[in-house]
Amino acid sequence: MLNSKLRKSCRSSTISLQNPKISYLLSSFSHKSTETPSGSCQFSHSAPENRISPSWFCSNSLPSIKNPNGFHQNPLFSSLSESKNPISASGSSSSRPNFSGFCSNSLPNIKKPNGFHQIPLFSTLSASGSSSNSLPSSKNRCQSHQSPVIWTQSHYFSTEAVVEPSTTDGLTVEGIMASNWTILDESESDWRSHAAAVAQSIHLIKKRLKWKKLVVRLDMLSMQLNKPDIWDDPVHAGKISREHGTLMGKMKEVRSFERELLEHIDMIKLAHEENDVELESESLKALHRMRKNSKEKELQAMLAGEQDPCSCYIEVQAGAGGTESMDWAAMVMQMYKLWAQQRRYKVTVVDEMPGEIAGIKRATIKVDGEYAFGYAKAEVGVHRLVRISPFDSNKRRHTSFAAVAVIPIMGDGSTRVQINESDLRIERFRAGGAGGQHVNTTESAVRIVHIPTGVTATCQNERSQHQNKASAMAVLQSRLDQLEMARQAQMNALHTQSLTDITWGSQIRSYVLHPYRMVKDLRTGYEVSDPDSVLEGDLDGFIMSYLSASLDKDVDDQ
Amino acid sequence: MSTPPTSLKPQLPLFLRPPLHSASVSDLRKWHDWAKNLASSVGTTFLDSDNGPDSDLLCRELKWLMEDAIEDHAVFSQMGIENNQTNVRLRMGIEELYNLWKQRIEERRPFQYLVGCEHWRDLVLSVQDGVLIPRPETELIVDLVADVVSNNEGLRGGLWADLGTGSGALAIGIGRILGSCGRVIATDLSPVALSVAAFNVQKYGLQDVIELRQGSWFKPLKNVEGKLAGIVSNPPYIPSDNIPRLQAEVGRHEPRLALDGGLNGMDDLLHLCNGAALMLRPGGFFIFETNGEKQCKSLAKYIENDIRGSFHSLDIVSDFAGIQRFLTGLHQ
Repeated sequence: MLNSKLRKSCRSSTISLQNPKISYLLSSFSHKSTETPSGSCQFSHSAPENRISPSWFCSNSLPSIKNPNGFHQNPLFSSLSESKNPISASGSSSSRPNFSGFCSNSLPNIKKPNGFHQIPLFSTLSASGSSSNSLPSSKNRCQSHQSPVIWTQSHYFSTEAVVEPSTTDGLTVEGIMASNWTILDESESDWRSHAAAVAQSIHLIKKRLKWKKLVVRLDMLSMQLNKPDIWDDPVHAGKISREHGTLMGKMKEVRSFERELLEHIDMIKLAHEENDVELESESLKALHRMRKNSKEKELQAMLAGEQDPCSCYIEVQAGAGGTESMDWAAMVMQMYKLWAQQRRYKVTVVDEMPGEIAGIKRATIKVDGEYAFGYAKAEVGVHRLVRISPFDSNKRRHTSFAAVAVIPIMGDGSTRVQINESDLRIERFRAGGAGGQHVNTTESAVRIVHIPTGVTATCQNERSQHQNKASAMAVLQSRLDQLEMARQAQMNALHTQSLTDITWGSQIRSYVLHPYRMVKDLRTGYEVSDPDSVLEGDLDGFIMSYLSASLDKDVDDQ
Repeated sequence: MSTPPTSLKPQLPLFLRPPLHSASVSDLRKWHDWAKNLASSVGTTFLDSDNGPDSDLLCRELKWLMEDAIEDHAVFSQMGIENNQTNVRLRMGIEELYNLWKQRIEERRPFQYLVGCEHWRDLVLSVQDGVLIPRPETELIVDLVADVVSNNEGLRGGLWADLGTGSGALAIGIGRILGSCGRVIATDLSPVALSVAAFNVQKYGLQDVIELRQGSWFKPLKNVEGKLAGIVSNPPYIPSDNIPRLQAEVGRHEPRLALDGGLNGMDDLLHLCNGAALMLRPGGFFIFETNGEKQCKSLAKYIENDIRGSFHSLDIVSDFAGIQRFLTGLHQ
C-alpha cells in the first residue's frame, strides 16, 4: 500500500511538472510536447491541461510572479490533492473538472498581497496526500507569511523545488536539526520533539535520495530541456523529460513534507501568541501524524531505485562440496520462499535441478509483488553455512556455500529487449528415441538458448511443455533485459549480476549452527542469535539494515 | 452441440474432486516417505529397459500427485514436522494413494491416469484409461494452425475437423484460436474418448464451437464433404510390430486403437490423405502427425505421385527434438 502511494505521488507530480512549462511557454514548447510521439504518459496527460491552462494561468497567475510564496494556499487546495488520483490515472476527462474548480476557487486570492503562484501550488497538488490534513484553520492568518525567495521566470524547466522552505521567522528543517531539540517518545505531547523527529526523518530521506546529487542532476536535466532544439530528438527528449519528471516528483514530495512541517510550526507559534488552545492542539496532532507517517516515508526513500518496485527472480546455486552444499542451497531457497510468503508475495518455482542425494544444484523462483526486487536485491551474494553435516557419518563440522542472484522483472516494457524467434534454439529435455506416441513422459523441461548472446533459460517445473517454454521465455527475457540494462546504463550491478558473475569470494552472510548459533551479515554487522527464525524466512531485519546501511553511509551524499 | 452420442460418465480428474477424505500430516508424511523410497529404488532401471521414467522424474510426479490430492497446499511446509497430528483434507483416501503409487511403480501405470489429467499447452485436460494421453509434440500442431489462420481470415472463420480426437486436445486448442465464426467437428471411434472429450470441451466452455461425432475417420462427416477449411489429426502411426516393445506406460496401458498404425504404421495416415482430398474445400489446410522422417517423406511422395493434383505447398515440420514429425499442405 505504501508502495502504491509512492508511485502515485511520483506520477501525479510528473503531471504537475508540465504546467509551468505550459503556462509560461504557451507557444512553442507546449506545442512540441504534445506532438512528441514518445508515448510517455505524462505527455498524453499534458494535452488537456494545455487546453485549460491558458484561460487562467495567463490572467491570474502572472501578477503574482514576484511573490511566489504560495504555501498558505494549502487549505484551499487540500481537497484537490485528494482528488489527484483521477488526474493521474485517467488523464484528460477527469482532469478537467478538477482544474476548472481550481480556477474559480482561486480567483479571490488574487487580491491577497502574496497571491498564489502556480509552482508551489502545484507542488501542493503533487504532494502525496500529506497536505490533505494540513493547516486546520489558517485561512485568515497566512497572509503575513513571506518567503525570502524570489522566483525567476527564466527557468521553464526549473528546479524550483530546490528552494528551501522556511517558517515566517526563517526556521528551516536544517535549522531544526541544528537546534538539537530533544526527541522524546512519540506519546509525549511536545511539539518540538515531534518536529525534531520529523526533521530527522526528512534529513534521512534526503540522504537516501542522495539529495545533493539529485539537485545537480535535476539542474542538468532542466538545462537540457530548456534548450530550444531538444525536441529535434524526441526519443532522447522523452527520456530526459521522464527522468526530470520522476526526480522532480521525488523532490517535490520531500519539499512539501518539509513545508508542511514548517507550516505546523508556524501555526503552533501563532496559536501561542494568540492563546488559541484549539489551534495548538490541532497542530500538535498534525505534527504527531506527520511523525508517524515519516517512518513510512523513510522506507519509501529506501526503495527509490528505478527497478525497486519490480517483481523478481531469485536464483540459488550450490557451491562446491557435494550433497552438504546442495542441501544448504535448498535451505537457502526454502528461506526465500518462506520470506516471500510472509511478505505476501506470490512464489512460483521456475526451475529446479535437484541434487543426486539431497538438496538442489540450482533453482530459480519467481517472486511476484510490489518491491520484491527492491528488498530481495539485498540478498545478492554468497551465503555461508557452518554446521555438523547430517550427511557426514563422522559428524564433522562442514562449511558450505550457496550463491544467490536476483533479477528484476521489468514490467513496463520500456527496457524490453526485442527477442527474435530465429535467434532462439529451443531444446527439450527428453530421452532420445522415437518420441511422439512411442513415449509417455511427464518430463517436459524446456531450455531456450539465445544464440547471439549465449544466454540460456531453463524451465522444467511446469507440467506441460508449453508452460515450461513460456516460463523459460520469461526468464530469458528478464536475463536479456538485465544484460541490456547493464550495457546501456553501465550500471555497476552487484544487484543485477548473474549467478555466474558472483565470485565465491563475495560472501555476504554467515549462518553458524555449530559450535555456537548465530547469523551474521558481514556487510552490516547485523546479527541474530536464532538461525532457525532466519531460515524460516525472517529476513527483513537483515534486508532493512543492509538497505539503510548502503544508502545512509555516505554523509556527503545527501 | 457437443453432447456425445453416448451415456458414459467420465472420471473426474483428481484435482477437481471434492476433498471428502482426510489424514493426519504425520500419516501423509509416512505415505510420502514410503512413496519416495519406492521411487528412489527404481533408479534408472525403467530408463535403461524401455526409456521409462527415472527416480528424479518419479519424485517430481510424486510431488504433483500430492499437489492434486491435497486441498490446502500450505501443508507442504508442515510436512517436515515430526508427529504432526493436524488433519489434512484430501481428494482421495490415503489407502488409495498407497494403491495408486504402487500401480505407478509396479505396473508402470501412467502418471496421468493416476491423477486423471494431463497438462497440455495451457490446458489441463481430463484423461483416463482408454484415452490416449496427449503428447507434448502434438502441442505444436496448435501453433502451426495458429500461424496458418493468422493470415487467412477464410480459414480462421471456417469449419475444421479433428479426426481421432481422443481427449479433445487438438479440437480444444484449435477451437480457442479460431475466430468467432470458426467451428470444429471432432470425431472418434471410441465412446470413452468421446465422453472424456465432451467433458473437456465443457470445461473450457467450447460447447458452441466444438461438435463431437462418433465414428471412424471421415464417416461421421458425410454432410460436410468439400466444405472443411482444415483437417488436423494425430492418428495411430506406430508400426504394429513395434507395439510389443513400447515403453511399459504406453504399451501396457494406453489404447492400442490410438497407437497401432498397421504394418508400417501408415494405414490411417494414407486413409486420411485420401479423405482430405475429398473433404477439404479449395485452399483448405491439413496437418498430420507422423512417426517421423520416414513416414513424412513417404506420405509426401504418395501425395505428389499417387494423388497428384490434390494438394500443394507440402511441408514437413520438425518437432522440438528435431524429428520430422508433421506433414502439412494445402488443398488445390
